[in-house]
Amino acid sequence: MHLRSTVFVCLVAVGLGSSLWAQAGGLAIPATTSAINSATPLSQRVVAYDMDAKYNAKTHALDASETLTYHNLTGQALDTFPFHLYLNAFQPTSTWMREGKREGTRGQDFGTWDNKNFGSEEIKSLEVVGQGDFTSQLQFIHPDDANKDDRTVVQVHLPKPIAPGEYVQFKIKFHDQFPETLERTGWDREAVLGGQWFPKVGVWWHDAWNCHQFHAYTEFFADFGVYDVKLTVPQYEVVGASGVEVGSVNNPDGTKTVAYHGDDIHDFAWTASPHYLIYNDTFQSSMGPVALRLMMQPAHWGQAERHARIAKQTMERFDHWYGPYPYKTLTIVDPEPGSESYGMEYPTFITGGSDWLMPDGLLLPESVVEHEFGHQYWYGMVATNEFEDAWMDEGINQYTEAKIMDSIFGPSTSVLNLWGITAGERDEDRFMYEGVASLDPIAQDGWRYAHSHSYAGITYGKTALILLTLESVIGEDTMRQAMHTYFMRYRFTHPTKEDFLKTIEEVSGRDLRWYFNQAVYGTQVLDDEVLKMSSVPVDWYKENFKEKEGETEYVSNVWIHRKEDFIFPVDVEIKFDNGEKIREHWDGQGRWVRYSYQKKAKLESAEVDPDHKIQFDRNEFNNSKTMEANGAPARKLANYWTCIGQFFAQFLAWWLV
Amino acid sequence: MNEKRNLVSAGADVAIRNKRYVIWFYLLNLIFAHFGASAFSDAAHALLDHSLNADKLLHGFNLGVFIELLARPEFGPLASSSAPAMIFAFLFFLASLLFMPGVLLGYASDHRISRDEFYRACGRNVWRFVRLFVFFTVIAGIVAGILSWGLNALVTAADKTSNERLPFFTQLLGTMVILVVLTIIRVWFDLAQTDVVLRDQSATRKSIAAGFRKLRRNFVRLVGSYLVIAIVALAVLVAGILLWHTIVPPSGVVGAFLIGQATLFLLLATRFWQRATAVAFYVKETAAPADEEVGSVPVFVASVVP
Repeated sequence: MHLRSTVFVCLVAVGLGSSLWAQAGGLAIPATTSAINSATPLSQRVVAYDMDAKYNAKTHALDASETLTYHNLTGQALDTFPFHLYLNAFQPTSTWMREGKREGTRGQDFGTWDNKNFGSEEIKSLEVVGQGDFTSQLQFIHPDDANKDDRTVVQVHLPKPIAPGEYVQFKIKFHDQFPETLERTGWDREAVLGGQWFPKVGVWWHDAWNCHQFHAYTEFFADFGVYDVKLTVPQYEVVGASGVEVGSVNNPDGTKTVAYHGDDIHDFAWTASPHYLIYNDTFQSSMGPVALRLMMQPAHWGQAERHARIAKQTMERFDHWYGPYPYKTLTIVDPEPGSESYGMEYPTFITGGSDWLMPDGLLLPESVVEHEFGHQYWYGMVATNEFEDAWMDEGINQYTEAKIMDSIFGPSTSVLNLWGITAGERDEDRFMYEGVASLDPIAQDGWRYAHSHSYAGITYGKTALILLTLESVIGEDTMRQAMHTYFMRYRFTHPTKEDFLKTIEEVSGRDLRWYFNQAVYGTQVLDDEVLKMSSVPVDWYKENFKEKEGETEYVSNVWIHRKEDFIFPVDVEIKFDNGEKIREHWDGQGRWVRYSYQKKAKLESAEVDPDHKIQFDRNEFNNSKTMEANGAPARKLANYWTCIGQFFAQFLAWWLV
Repeated sequence: MNEKRNLVSAGADVAIRNKRYVIWFYLLNLIFAHFGASAFSDAAHALLDHSLNADKLLHGFNLGVFIELLARPEFGPLASSSAPAMIFAFLFFLASLLFMPGVLLGYASDHRISRDEFYRACGRNVWRFVRLFVFFTVIAGIVAGILSWGLNALVTAADKTSNERLPFFTQLLGTMVILVVLTIIRVWFDLAQTDVVLRDQSATRKSIAAGFRKLRRNFVRLVGSYLVIAIVALAVLVAGILLWHTIVPPSGVVGAFLIGQATLFLLLATRFWQRATAVAFYVKETAAPADEEVGSVPVFVASVVP
């Protein structure tokens, strides 16, 4: 053993520090805590991955060995084990690619096949300790469709079942070929982002293996455990990864090996590029200090502080509102410009998304960092099944993003506040939702949506909007308390949709099935309108009748109409021209309701939901009606349109005549 | 440098002396755009006039609300709003093509030409201008196409480097080069148009050749003058937008209209300034016998037509 290797081993040992080992039958899942601000493990650890990977920066390929220790906590004997081989999705005949061709993926349309899109994950050998080599017996399975060409899930059958409470250890050698970045994994220029890069065992959930194929717009699901990963890369690379760095040594062949350790996480991602600039900061969470490591693009160095600021503001609010962030590190990667690796979450490791030309008023870096950090809670710790309940990570996270971004930047300017043009998080959610409002329910498997727009509009947009609207039913503080309870109760577990919904009902003390059945399980759409309104003088029939302000008595009627099928109680505000306002409450049960008044004043306006509590009303323009027309807004827009038309005409004539 | 300034100021003198043309063209531009915006305007009035939600567009500009407005089925497809704008923009282009010969004649004349003279010049030259337009489109299209292809290749290569700013600045610089090249072609064809009108030249290829010769001999003066005026146009546009942004309140519909129209008027005026510069150059050049070929003395149509 070389001196450098000896030092390396010592470093790793020191890094693991106070490691404890829970053992049974010679195998064990480490009870280490060196990567968390806790003296004891936080999750029920099912897996321990020990991996040694060497990345070839020229070929974008990786060769690795993986030792997976699995603790059978299922309560029954297991004789089959499925593994995800996600990188095999990036092949022309995979389910991911077929769905992508059919419905679009996140950022790719695959008009033509390009070999740069090719990715693969090949198991060179798989040995089960004590049972032998099973490489030749590996079988690709297709639990979600009949696509025999999909190779994203492989299964091994063991002749000797693993008894409940026992451990099994797999020794796997595998070879990865990364694509040019797809689905937040792969290479771009000289950088690489290694996500979903190793054979990962499925989750035993609800008395069965849950190990779905990789789909065009679903994500991941895995058990908690411990990760010890050694990455060997060229020495010129700047490396970042999930967990804490526990050692780094330079090798004689011009490479270096960097070691990482992660506790209570369910995935491991890494990145390397010669160009990253490192910005370090610290956040003091309620469980202890968190080292923030920002890996910035050189052209974005001026935005490092901007990234760090939003990260800390977000972490402070999450800590205060929902619960503590227990990890010792958070790595924020500013990925290659134009790369498909922007905006992604992995445990303790997120990617942002910016551009060198990023005005302060365009809050894209902020919203991406906030969103991806939010996933540390809604995916990272509350580890829902992203295949089957995509809304529980993306949608709940979109909701908390709206809450946090609104609290920092204001509700109407939390996305854009530039040159007088504004947009808020809720506007963004509505934009996603409106076009697909009735297509799909929230509660369904992620790959069964009508298309990618429906997936995005419903899982992200609709979920955020229905949770924001729920605040008007149970109160904002109660909703926050419910989110806190949900996080604290289900962190480091795999909760179901009912776990979430029942927690809200429990905390609020309300039966909310009427709402959840429509909003979560149904495709009902809400669109209330002020159908019409009128004020008719009581004495209209009298000869020589003349209207006199303040003296003439009118019979006024306002009709409210529920145009769609979502039943939701609403407030209605009616204003009269003497300044009087009346608030009515309609249970929304009928298709319409009429309010009648007899007063010495005429109607001025009527508005459904005057406090703007309902976020998912499909058409907000018909929520109100005024007696008098105000043409100024339309004239303003028409003026813009005229100017653009004039400019275009001049431009045409300038060059062509 | 002094000559260039003289040419620019001579063009300004001509354009200001004949400011009625800019005014008429501006009014045409405004009226056409107004008609082009009518579908959009009607749809917007129908949805916004009685809705309190419209306040988000009046007191500020909420992009989300605006997108929702465009997405409403009642608003109709965006194409139904943009198509009229396109059609009326095309009509303005046709009107420019039709009336420009009269403008050029007016610019070349030392007196105010009559309405008859103006329209006669337009009528005599309409097909010549159409032919010139076709030649221009072919030449400019080929040149711009080749340059754009080269630029795309450069940007693609720049995008492969790790310097993030490089593709942007390559694109910016390349676009500027293409615009300068197109400006050079525009100067050439402005001279050809002037030649067609002032010499009553029915063989447009001869005017194209004459325009090319004049451009080649006075390249720096002419292109320099055009570029100076183009920079003024850019400054007008930027100043107009800044002024709009800084002094007009979000709900100031009248103020926005006035500043927008003033900017567009001045923008249009700069193009007429360029044309006046070309005419002033042409008249001055052709008045110098040493510089002209035998038999190429211009025939100012306005003077010879009874």
